[in-house]
Amino acid sequence: MISNAISIMIAVPLIGAVLAFMTRSRGQARLVALIASLVPLALALQMYTEFDKSSKLMQFVESYDWVPSIGVRYTVGVDCISFPLVLLTAIVSVLVVIYAWGENHRPNQFFALLLLNEVGVLGVFTALDFFLFYIFWEIVLIPMFFLIGIWGGPRKDYSAIKFFIYTHVASLVMLLAIFALYFTYRLPDGSRTFDMLTLLQATSDKAIFPPGLINAIFAGLLFGFLVKMPAFPFHTWLPDAHVEAPTAGSVVLAALLLKMGGYGIFRVILPMLPHVDKAFVTVIAVIGVLSIIYGAFLALAQKDIKKLVAYSSISHMGFVTLGAVAFTWLSVQGAMFQQFSHGIITCALFMSAGTIQHSVGTRIISELGGLADRMPKFASLMLAAFLASLGLPGMSGFVAEFMVLTGSYATFPMYTLLVVFTSVGVTAGYHLWACQKVLFGPILKKYLEIHDPHAYEILAMSAIVFLTLLFGLQPALITDMMGTAAHQVMEPVVTLSQMGVI
Amino acid sequence: MYADYAYLIVGLPVLAFILTIFFGWHLPRGGGFLTVLATFTGFLISAGIFLETFPEKVVHQSMHWFATLNVGILIDPLAIVMLLMVTFVCTLIHTYALGYMNGDPGMARYFAEAGLFTAAMLGLVYSDNLLQLFIFWELVGLCSYLLIGFWYRKPSAASAAKKAFLTTRVGDVMFLAGIILLYNNMAKLGLPEGTYLLQFPVIYENLTKIDPTQLTLVSLLLLGGAAGKSGQFPLDIWLPDAMEGPTTVSAMIHAATMVTAGVYLVARMFPLFYAAPYGLLAVAYVGGFTALYAATMGLAAFDIKRVLAFSTVSQLGYMMLALGVGSVVGAAAVGVSMFHLIGHSFFKALLFLCAGSVIHAVATNDLREMGGVGRYMRWTAGTMAIGGLALAGFPGTTGFFSKDEILVTAWEYGAMTHDYLPYLFGIVAALLTAFYTFRMWFLTFTGEPRSDYHKHESPWIMLGPLVILAILALFFGMPAQERFYETVGNNFAHYGVDFEELAPIGGHAVEHGGEHGEETAVHEPFIIKILPILVGIGGILLALLFYSPWKKLDIRKFVGEKDLLRTILVKRYYQHEIFTAWFAETVVYGISLIANIFDIRIVDGVLNKISETTLGFANSIRRVQTGVIQNYITALVFGIVVLVIVIKLAMEVGL
Repeated sequence: MISNAISIMIAVPLIGAVLAFMTRSRGQARLVALIASLVPLALALQMYTEFDKSSKLMQFVESYDWVPSIGVRYTVGVDCISFPLVLLTAIVSVLVVIYAWGENHRPNQFFALLLLNEVGVLGVFTALDFFLFYIFWEIVLIPMFFLIGIWGGPRKDYSAIKFFIYTHVASLVMLLAIFALYFTYRLPDGSRTFDMLTLLQATSDKAIFPPGLINAIFAGLLFGFLVKMPAFPFHTWLPDAHVEAPTAGSVVLAALLLKMGGYGIFRVILPMLPHVDKAFVTVIAVIGVLSIIYGAFLALAQKDIKKLVAYSSISHMGFVTLGAVAFTWLSVQGAMFQQFSHGIITCALFMSAGTIQHSVGTRIISELGGLADRMPKFASLMLAAFLASLGLPGMSGFVAEFMVLTGSYATFPMYTLLVVFTSVGVTAGYHLWACQKVLFGPILKKYLEIHDPHAYEILAMSAIVFLTLLFGLQPALITDMMGTAAHQVMEPVVTLSQMGVI
Repeated sequence: MYADYAYLIVGLPVLAFILTIFFGWHLPRGGGFLTVLATFTGFLISAGIFLETFPEKVVHQSMHWFATLNVGILIDPLAIVMLLMVTFVCTLIHTYALGYMNGDPGMARYFAEAGLFTAAMLGLVYSDNLLQLFIFWELVGLCSYLLIGFWYRKPSAASAAKKAFLTTRVGDVMFLAGIILLYNNMAKLGLPEGTYLLQFPVIYENLTKIDPTQLTLVSLLLLGGAAGKSGQFPLDIWLPDAMEGPTTVSAMIHAATMVTAGVYLVARMFPLFYAAPYGLLAVAYVGGFTALYAATMGLAAFDIKRVLAFSTVSQLGYMMLALGVGSVVGAAAVGVSMFHLIGHSFFKALLFLCAGSVIHAVATNDLREMGGVGRYMRWTAGTMAIGGLALAGFPGTTGFFSKDEILVTAWEYGAMTHDYLPYLFGIVAALLTAFYTFRMWFLTFTGEPRSDYHKHESPWIMLGPLVILAILALFFGMPAQERFYETVGNNFAHYGVDFEELAPIGGHAVEHGGEHGEETAVHEPFIIKILPILVGIGGILLALLFYSPWKKLDIRKFVGEKDLLRTILVKRYYQHEIFTAWFAETVVYGISLIANIFDIRIVDGVLNKISETTLGFANSIRRVQTGVIQNYITALVFGIVVLVIVIKLAMEVGL
C-alpha cells in the first residue's frame, strides 16, 4: 500500500503542469502530459485493488495542520462516495490527453492547463476540509476559463466570461454558506474548524443550527452545486461554454466539472437533507425532473450537434438530482452510477462532435450527411456512443437510469412516470435523429475527400466505448462501492476521529 | 449435461459477432459460415437440452449481477420450443444469406449484426428475469435498427430504421414503466433479503399478494411493450417500413423471431395477465383487431414484401388473440398461441425467403412488374405455394391446425362471455388472409411477364432452406399438435402456479364455474367447426377468380382507382400522417422549438438582463479580458490571501 497516495496523485499532475508549461515543443509537452496523467491512473487502479468496498470509513486519509490559527487543515481521503469519481477523473484525464495529441496551437499551455484541471478536480473529490475543498473548487475555474478563452470558437470571450462569472457567483454563495457553518460551530475546546465531516455532523444538532439558519446554509450550498451540475434553470452557461470550448475542454467540462456539482450533492447536501425543511425535497425533485425533460426537448431543437450534446448533459445530470433526492438505496446508488457513467459516455459524444468539426469543418447537423460512407470507423464509434447515451441496455447509461427510475418510483411515483413517458422517448429521438442526419444517407459531394480521423482519436473513443460496455455488462465493478456509499449518505455523518482513521 | 453448456447458446453467436466484425473482411463470404456454425451449434445444444429435460424438468441457473438484480438462464417448455425454433430457423436463414448476400460489400457487417441478433434473441428467450429479458429485448431492437438500415446510404432505409427504433421505443417505454411498477410492488411485499424480485418464478409465486389494480396497470404496460415489438395496433406502423432491409433480415427478424418477442412476453407473463382484471381482455381485443386491421391493408399492397409484412402483423394479432381468450381456457391458451407462433415462423420465414429468391432474380419488389415468374423459378414458386397454403390455413398444413385451434378457442370465449367480437375479427381476417396471400402468389408467378426481368432460378444454397422449411410448413402441424399443447400448456405447472387461485382475482371465476358449470363444456356447432376450412379455401378461390390467368372477374369492376376505401387502404389508414408527420414532427418537435425559444428569451434573457444592468456586464468583459495569464493567476492568489486575512480578522473581532 502506497502511503500518501492521494497527495502524490494530486502533486504529479501539478508538477507535470509546470513542466509542460516550460517545454518548448509539442512533442515534449504532450509526452509530459501523458506521463503526468498516467501516474494518477496507475495510482487509482492500485488503490482500487486495495480499496475496501464494503467499508463506510474514509480510506487513504492524510491529515496535516496547515493554518492552525484558523483551523485549516490539509485533510484528504476517499470513501465509497468519492473514490469512483477519482477513478473517473484519472481515466478521463488520460483519454483527453490522448485525444488532444495533435493540438498545435500553444500546445505547452494547452497540456499544462489540462493537467492543472486534473489537479483541481482530484482535489475537490478528495478534500475533506472545506477550505481546501473551496480552493480546489476555484482552481478548476482557471484552466477552463483559459481553455475556452484561448482555444475557443468565435464567441469565446462572451462564453468564457459568462462561464467564469456565473459559476464564480455560485461559488461565492457556496462560500458564504461554508463561512456560516464555520462561524457557527465551535469544537469542544472552543476553537473553530473547517473539517467537512465534523461540520456536517454538527448540522444535525438543532441547538447549534436553528432551523432558519440551517435552511439558509443549505440553500446556499445547494445553489452552488446546482449551478455546477447544471440544473434547470441555472444551466444557460453550459451550452455557451460548450459551443465555444475546444473539444478537450468540452470533454473535461462535461465529464469532470459537472460531476463536482453532483459530488457536492452526495457529500454535503444529502447528509443535511434530513435536518432541513421538507419543502426542499420537493423543490429539488422538481428541478431534477424539469432538467431531465427540458434538457431532452431542448436537445431535440438544436441545430449544432455540440449544442445537442450539451443539452443532453443537462438532461442526464437531472437523473443525478432526481435519484439523489428520492433518497432510496437504489436511487442514490443509481444517481452515483449516473455520475460515473455520464462522465464516460459524454467524453465520446464531445469527441464525436470535435472530430466532425475538424474533419468536415462544420457541426451544423443539416449541413452534414453520409459521413459513414467515408469515415466507417468513426461512424461505428459515434453510433455506439450515441446509443450508450440514449440508454441502450448493455451499456452503462441504462444501468444508471434503470436504478434511478426504479428507486425513485418508491418516493415520487408520478414524477418518475412523467420522466419515463416523456424523456425516454424524446431522448432516443434526438440521438437517432442526429445519427441519421450526420452519418447515414448518401455522402454529400463536398465531403468526398474526408476520411477517418487520426488513430489517437479513434483510440480514445474506442477506449470509452469499451468502458461503457464494461460497466454496462459488469456494473458491480463499481456499484458495489456505490451500494455502500448509498447506505452511508442515508446514515448520520461519522467524523474522521470517530472513524479512528486520524 | 447439455444444460451445463446452455450459456454457449448465446455465447457462440456473440463470438461469431466479434470474429466477423473484426476479421470478416478477410474471410470468404464475410465469414458468414462462422455465424451459421455458431447458430447451428446452438441448435444442437438446445436439442440436447430438450432431450434431457423433456417433458418433466426445468433448467434454472442464476447468479448475482449487481445491486438487487441477477442474471440467469431459465429453460422450461415455453423457452425450449422457442430456443429450438430460433436456432433452427436462424441457421437456415443464415445459410440462405450466404447465397443471398454474396457480393455485397458489407457482407461481413451483415453477418456480424446477424450473429449479434441471434445471440440477443436467444438471450431474450431464456432469460430468467424480466430485466434481463428487457435488456435482450432492447438489443434485438438495436440489431433490427442496424439491419433495417443495413443499406444506410439509402435515405429511405436510414429513415425506416429510425422509425422502427422509435416506434418500438414507445412500446419499450411502457415495458420499462411496467417493470418499474412491478419491481416496486414486489419490493413492498417484504420478501426475504436476497430474493431477486424480477425473477419469473418469484413473480409467479407472489402474484396473489399484489394489489389487483396494480396488476392491471402492470399488465397493460407490458402489453404496450409487446404491442411495440410485435407490431400490434396502434404501434404497427414501423413493420411494413422495416422491409427496407435485406430480405433475409425481414425473414429472420421481422417475421420469424424478433416480432414474436411481444407474444412471447405475454406468454411468459401469462399468469400475471390472467390474475390482472382486464389484462387478458385488452390482449384479446388488441390482438383480434390487429389481425383484421392489418389483413385489410394487405389487400391493397403492391410490394411483395409489404404484403408479407401486413400478413405478419395480422398473424401476430392471432397469437395475441389466442392468449387473450385464455381467460376462459386458462393456461392452455399459451400452448395454442405458441403453436401458431412456431408454425408461423416456419411458413412465414419460408414465404419471405421465397420472396427474397424472387427479388434476387427479378430485381424488383413490385408485384406489378412481375408476372409469370413461376415459369423460370419452379422451386421457388412451388415452395411459396406451400407457404401460402399454410398461411391461408389450407386443411392439412401446419397453419391450418394452429389457426383452427385459435378460432375454435375464440368461439368458446364468445360462447362463455357472450362477446363474439374477437371471434368475428379472427374469422373475417382468415378469409382476407387467404385472399391476399394468393393474390400475391398469382400476381407473381402466373400470367405473362409485365416487365423485362432476369429469368433464372436461385442457387441451391438458397433453395435448400426453402425446401426444408416447406416440408415443415406442410407436415409439422399434425404430428406435433397434441404433445405441444400438452407440454407448453402445462408450462406454469412447473412453478406451482394455481390458475384456480388466480381466477377470482382476475375476475374469471364466473366463466369457469358459475351458471355454465364445467360439466356443460361448450360444444361448438358443426358450422363453427368447418367454417375455418371454408373461409380458407374460399379466400383462395376468390383470389383465383380475380387474379389468376383463369380469372372470371375483373377487380376493376368492383373497386376503382380512386375509391375512398382503396385510398384509405393504400394510405394505410393515414397512420404515417397521424403518427409521424403530425405527432412526432409537429407536436413533439414543436414543443422542443418552443422550449428552445423559452430558453433563449426567458431563462438566458433574464440572466443577461441582470448582468447587463447590475454588473455592467458589457464593460466588464473589456476590462477583465486582458489576456495575460500572469494577471489572472496573480488575481487568484491575491484573492485567496484576502480571504485568509478576512477570516483572521473576523475571528479577532470574535465573530
